[in-house]
Amino acid sequence: MTTAVQLDGITKRFPGVLANDDVDLTVEQGTVHALLGENGAGKTTLMNILYGLYEPTDGRIVVDGDERSFESPRAAIDAGIGMIHQHFMLVEPMTVAENVTLGAEPRKWGGLAVDADAAVREVAALSEQYGLDVDPTAPVETLSVGVQQRTEILKALYRGADVLILDEPTAVLTPQEVEELLSIFDHLTDQGKTIIFITHKLGEAMAAADDITVLRDGQTIGSIAADDTSREALAEMMVGREVLLEIERPPVETGSTLLTVKNVSTPSQRGVPAVSDVSFSAHAGEIFGIAGVDGNGQRELIELLTGLSTPASGSIVFDGEVITHASRRERIERGIAYVPEDRHAQGLVMPFDLVENGLLGNQRTSSFANAGRIDWAACKEHASSIIEEYDVRPPNPSASAESLSGGNQQKFIVGRELARDPTLLIATHPTRGVDIGSTEFIHEQLLALREAGVAVVLVSSKLDEVRGLSDRMAVMHDGMFVDTVDPDAVTEEELGLLMAGEHPTGGEQ
Amino acid sequence: MAEIAQRLKRRWLELALVSALLLALGVLFETTGLTLGDVISKRFLGATLRLSVPIAFAALGGIFAEKSGVINIGLEGHLIIAAFASIAGVILTGSVWAGFLAGVLASTLFAVLFAVVCIEFQADQVIAGLAIWLVALGLGPFLSTVLYGSVNTPQTGSFQAIAIPGLASLPVIGALFDVTPPVYLLYVAVIGCWYVLNHTAFGRWVNASGENPQALDTAGIDVTRVRYVSVILSGVLAGIGGAGYALSIGQFTGSGETMIGGRGFIAVVAYLLGNYNPIGAFLSTTLFAGLQTLQIQLQTGVLPASLVQTVPYITVIVVLAAVGHTRTPAAAGEHYESGDE
Amino acid sequence: MTDSRWRALLQRIVYASTFERVVISLAALLLSILVGGVLILVSGRLTTCPTAAATYLGVGFCYDPITVFDRLFFGALGDPMNPLFRPFAGEFAPPFRAGWSPFNSEMAVTLRETAVLIFTGLSVAVAFRADVFNIGTQGQLVVGAITSAVSLTALGPVAPSGIAGSLLLIPAGLLAGAIAGGLYGAIPGALKAYADANEVITTIMLNFVAAKVALFLVSGPLQRADSQIAQTEPIPAAASIPSVLFDARTGFSLVALAVAVCTALACYYLLNHTTLGYELRTSGLQAAAARYAGVKTDRTIVGSLVLSGALGGLGGAIYVMMIVGDFQTGVPSYGFDGITVAILAGSNPLGVLLAAPLFGIIQSGSIVIDTTTNVPPQLVDVLRGLIVLFVAMPEFFRQFGRRFFEDDGGEIDG
Repeated sequence: MTTAVQLDGITKRFPGVLANDDVDLTVEQGTVHALLGENGAGKTTLMNILYGLYEPTDGRIVVDGDERSFESPRAAIDAGIGMIHQHFMLVEPMTVAENVTLGAEPRKWGGLAVDADAAVREVAALSEQYGLDVDPTAPVETLSVGVQQRTEILKALYRGADVLILDEPTAVLTPQEVEELLSIFDHLTDQGKTIIFITHKLGEAMAAADDITVLRDGQTIGSIAADDTSREALAEMMVGREVLLEIERPPVETGSTLLTVKNVSTPSQRGVPAVSDVSFSAHAGEIFGIAGVDGNGQRELIELLTGLSTPASGSIVFDGEVITHASRRERIERGIAYVPEDRHAQGLVMPFDLVENGLLGNQRTSSFANAGRIDWAACKEHASSIIEEYDVRPPNPSASAESLSGGNQQKFIVGRELARDPTLLIATHPTRGVDIGSTEFIHEQLLALREAGVAVVLVSSKLDEVRGLSDRMAVMHDGMFVDTVDPDAVTEEELGLLMAGEHPTGGEQ
Repeated sequence: MAEIAQRLKRRWLELALVSALLLALGVLFETTGLTLGDVISKRFLGATLRLSVPIAFAALGGIFAEKSGVINIGLEGHLIIAAFASIAGVILTGSVWAGFLAGVLASTLFAVLFAVVCIEFQADQVIAGLAIWLVALGLGPFLSTVLYGSVNTPQTGSFQAIAIPGLASLPVIGALFDVTPPVYLLYVAVIGCWYVLNHTAFGRWVNASGENPQALDTAGIDVTRVRYVSVILSGVLAGIGGAGYALSIGQFTGSGETMIGGRGFIAVVAYLLGNYNPIGAFLSTTLFAGLQTLQIQLQTGVLPASLVQTVPYITVIVVLAAVGHTRTPAAAGEHYESGDE
Repeated sequence: MTDSRWRALLQRIVYASTFERVVISLAALLLSILVGGVLILVSGRLTTCPTAAATYLGVGFCYDPITVFDRLFFGALGDPMNPLFRPFAGEFAPPFRAGWSPFNSEMAVTLRETAVLIFTGLSVAVAFRADVFNIGTQGQLVVGAITSAVSLTALGPVAPSGIAGSLLLIPAGLLAGAIAGGLYGAIPGALKAYADANEVITTIMLNFVAAKVALFLVSGPLQRADSQIAQTEPIPAAASIPSVLFDARTGFSLVALAVAVCTALACYYLLNHTTLGYELRTSGLQAAAARYAGVKTDRTIVGSLVLSGALGGLGGAIYVMMIVGDFQTGVPSYGFDGITVAILAGSNPLGVLLAAPLFGIIQSGSIVIDTTTNVPPQLVDVLRGLIVLFVAMPEFFRQFGRRFFEDDGGEIDG
């Protein structure tokens, strides 16, 4: 076996951060290699260095036995390295063929024109050769996420990549699409390609990779063959201590119905229904989970519940009163707290300090504003108490939100929302991009609320999280609730089918 | 529901737009005794084409800049400085074509400045564009006063219409072939820009640079270079428009908002209405230029001139409200920095 | 203090945002003056004159930038400096010229322009804070001015005379200007909020419309009975804002300046200490976060433009009641200067109180330049654009500053 890529002692220093600290990585040709680690462990930085996006502060890159230094992605591409980023680098209004050939367009008329037909032909042939099944003439914005990802793979292959780097490739896929992706990996390695994929999911690394390298805090913890390790051992390597993979959910007496949603529907920007005929209820002392692949109407449904939009049809009843058309403001006043999906755009005003951010949503509450005048002293006290109670670091109320880490930002938002003393909490992806310590903390908070008799609606694309925390769980696909299941009884396979919009048993509604 | 409301709103606005235009035209014809024959005439078409030059060229330039991700709201400034420089050039050299080149050169220099400020120094594009306009709005009249003692320059030589034998004698559309050189250049530029944007690799890159610059960067194309070229091209095109317009009149007038009088801003609306398509932008330009022609011809009518002069501006507002939600390039207005440098 | 603590302090000063803003604004101003100086020299070579105004490096120039900027800044203050006061040469005569009075007429013009510019600067600044580019302050000022003039003329006959009349008419005139300007600002506000029409374009178009309609009105239906020029009937004497300490002929009133300063303080209070201000700033920075907090962002956009228009309209009312005494065409470009003032002030109302006098000096100085030198006063319009351009590129000054500090600073990562 030959070595496709070897990284020796890579160090990368950013202002104030040591992202990679003397990292080593060896990848054999024709294998699948998983780069495993928590968020912020330095995995993506390392791969961006290999792809020429960053220059390493120190270290050696060896590709196919030659030492190389890539000043730009173009140099890396020329050396046969391709990268598929987590956020796809696709131009949405352009077709697959236009995207695949971007920057390397086949020309005609002495270079004066792009040969569009040749591009389509070449991309179709490539798609065929590697079993990718992509229509070259389809505009990218009309394609599903899975197909967009395959377009990215085509892009790399078109440029002659022998080593493919994929950054968190499964984060946005259904379990079935993940299966397909793994079989594409097989196709590719059969034809001699090498694959490096970045992940923080233990199970995937075990299932897909031949070898696994674990990074933590910018350092290599170790490399190991997938067959020679266990989930527990990998988890300990990732986190540096023993972790509980299971969430403990003590039994709690369920109380009265707090939220009843009946047959709500809403159209999306493109005219197709984003939420269609969804009904459910949530009770005091209960966590109601909503699972599903991102982009299946969860966001739109949550906007209907929180008052950011109103449904075209159907009704929402909260605490015995109809709130279908109540404004966002009114819902805040009624005791509906909301931990939003996008903390950078919604949950926090990034240039504001924590005092000002603590006021977000409370700016018309009498304890902070009197006759339109803001009581900044009370606001400062409020922010300080959130910081103390929820262990936000640095413990400085005049720090700007943008200066905090993701975990601390999220803890602050959770603290602010819980300080409203809510009757109902709606939380969407509350631990996305949050470190393991903060994740555990946020999980504890949600469970404590449940014990205190609050109703919680939880949306998450992390299956472990939503299964572990929820008392009941709905699976959403294409704007509909495919089914509501008992999270303790349902199997992973059943969930996978539900998330793809199919009923495992067929019959029931 | 939001979608339905949006669609209803759009329908409603389109309807309002069309009926407002019809009503305005009806009132104009009714009160002024103008007939349809006056509008469908060689004289009207010829004047419309002449007035299209500044708006259409600026719009073509604006398309390149904005498609590449740099909103050039300072097109007005490019038109003003090109108009002044072209007249000064004619006075200095005595040659209309040399003046034309001077105008294009001045506008191009402004575009280089704008590009450096926006791309290299990451300025807010809208504020920088406004600054370019304000600088030109001051500089044109200032230099005119320095050189000629008044904000208005003396009258100079100008472009003369060139008739294409045979074609020019066709009824009505013959006017298309009896125009000044800048109008002929406009025909070439509209087709040329359309071709470059839709059928060349550079056109693809411009498109990608405005939609997803990172995609272009990771495909190995230098986004910064694409944006520089696009912005400078917008200066060249707007310069042709400004110089061509001034040289069809033979004078630069610098009082108030100068002779350009907001045509650079109308150009922005023209390309939005034309959905960033050069041919669409040209057609929407003829709408605005046609209204201006009408307004000039009506100044002899019964309605007070100053009220009639508001018609093109109000039309721009109505049109903008109707097309307001045009899909703009996803990354327009955003600075892009490659890698970690 | 240890070296590292000095360095930390230095860094905090250099990177602190308010301080940085001030430094960048000053640097932009300085750079504009430098570039303006070069422009004056070059222009001085382009034109012809019997004798050179200045000779540098053996080359004669028709214009002398030092004279121009001396006239621009010191002329606008009525030449306060004592020529014998030369501290660098070790001569410490009294700094102020004998006979110089702060109540001189150039100073009055400077403060007069300042008063109007505070309003237009606030108008642009308040909208900026809501992420709205109101380029239409000029039009809103014109609409406010003409409405104020017409209402006062109409109210004149029914108002009591003397002090009582002033107490009634002056607030009425201000109110009429504010309401008219606010309503005119509501048009682009509604178009942006509900039809997604770019406010930069609509406000510029509305400037043209306001100018043309005003021209139509004052040269037609509202023209003064026996006048040859386009102007309205004069406003009643009781509606003129009284001048205090200064010569009434200069058209400056300390009362009006006090109103302007109070308005700026009120805007500061509104933005920083009220719920409305918090909501406006939040939706200006991050509209999604504002919606999350229950703010109706559409209404905030309309509201900010109404407020902005009202401030512009107030400026127009002050212009009529303090300076001209009626409405006539050819309103100076206070609205565009307001853009510069707001940008220079970092959109902070207190900053407007610093930037507006600076621009008052420049405007007043341009009159001095016009009467005492042969340099065209349009120079000031170029400076206005240059200042906006340079303030718009803070990164230029940051890179410059970083290089400067890193030379002796060693490791400052960046």
